[in-house]
Amino acid sequence: MNTSPKFIYVTLITTTPEKLWAALTSAEFTKQYWGGTAVESDWQVGSKVVFRWKGRIVHNDTVLKSEPPRLLSYSFHPLHIEELLSEPPSRVTFEIEEFTGKSARQGPVVKLTVTHEDFQAESKIFPMISKGWPDILSSLKTLLETGRAIEFEW
Amino acid sequence: MENPKFVYVTHINTSPEKLWTALTNPDFTQQYWGGRRVQSDWTTGASIKHQKADGAIELRGEVLQADPPRLLAYTFLSPPHEGSPVEKPTRVTFEISVAFGVTKLVVTHDGFEPGSRLFPEISNGWPAILSSLKTLLESGTALPFTWKC
Repeated sequence: MNTSPKFIYVTLITTTPEKLWAALTSAEFTKQYWGGTAVESDWQVGSKVVFRWKGRIVHNDTVLKSEPPRLLSYSFHPLHIEELLSEPPSRVTFEIEEFTGKSARQGPVVKLTVTHEDFQAESKIFPMISKGWPDILSSLKTLLETGRAIEFEW
Repeated sequence: MENPKFVYVTHINTSPEKLWTALTNPDFTQQYWGGRRVQSDWTTGASIKHQKADGAIELRGEVLQADPPRLLAYTFLSPPHEGSPVEKPTRVTFEISVAFGVTKLVVTHDGFEPGSRLFPEISNGWPAILSSLKTLLESGTALPFTWKC
């Protein structure tokens, strides 16, 4: 039996794929909704993705896929918590689509699917990210729709 | 095979009281729930129904717990689909609390049998409903789509 856990979160946002892509890839944006984390990269496949949080580098990951404004994937390995260093990197993927579904559209709605996978069995990181993504993605949606994020600190 | 369970967490810039009203008032639900009017008197044991815009009753249930503005749980029974076995009622629970100075909503939908036909449908449906609910409470207007009934 495969016990490797996988986290999936879907949210619909009144925005365009281009604005959502910018919000995921611009450090000035991410600082507002990601608990103060600046996510920095040139977003070329193979490039580094650096997370800066409270003046420290807390991730030094790698871009795996980058197809603006539809698909972004990078490795995920927190560096700031000693007991988590031994876990192998996991992988997070952002998929951006126009929302259609069973709907009659009256305006621009974008569907964002965040998939975080490749955890080891009994991962200690998995429960942390399962709590963290709803915080981050709720705030991202609020920022894009109202111009102001939900401010939170972990 | 495990019994599937759906859990969704969202933070909404509103108060627990306003969120409770949005979950229990048909004039609100009609705006963000694909046109559905969710109707009940919200006392334990009371019946609940989801009525579509065309007047048809989409599902019925019974209130299991109602503790405004913190906890609401009800059974969820879909009408039988032609050619599909009748599924037993499932259960949806809404937990409302305060976090980060805003309101946290946890929706848990469980009680499915392994291989439930309903489970993939609700797994698609809840993120759309709850995204639209959040937008409605924060901006005054629900997401600009309606479901085709």
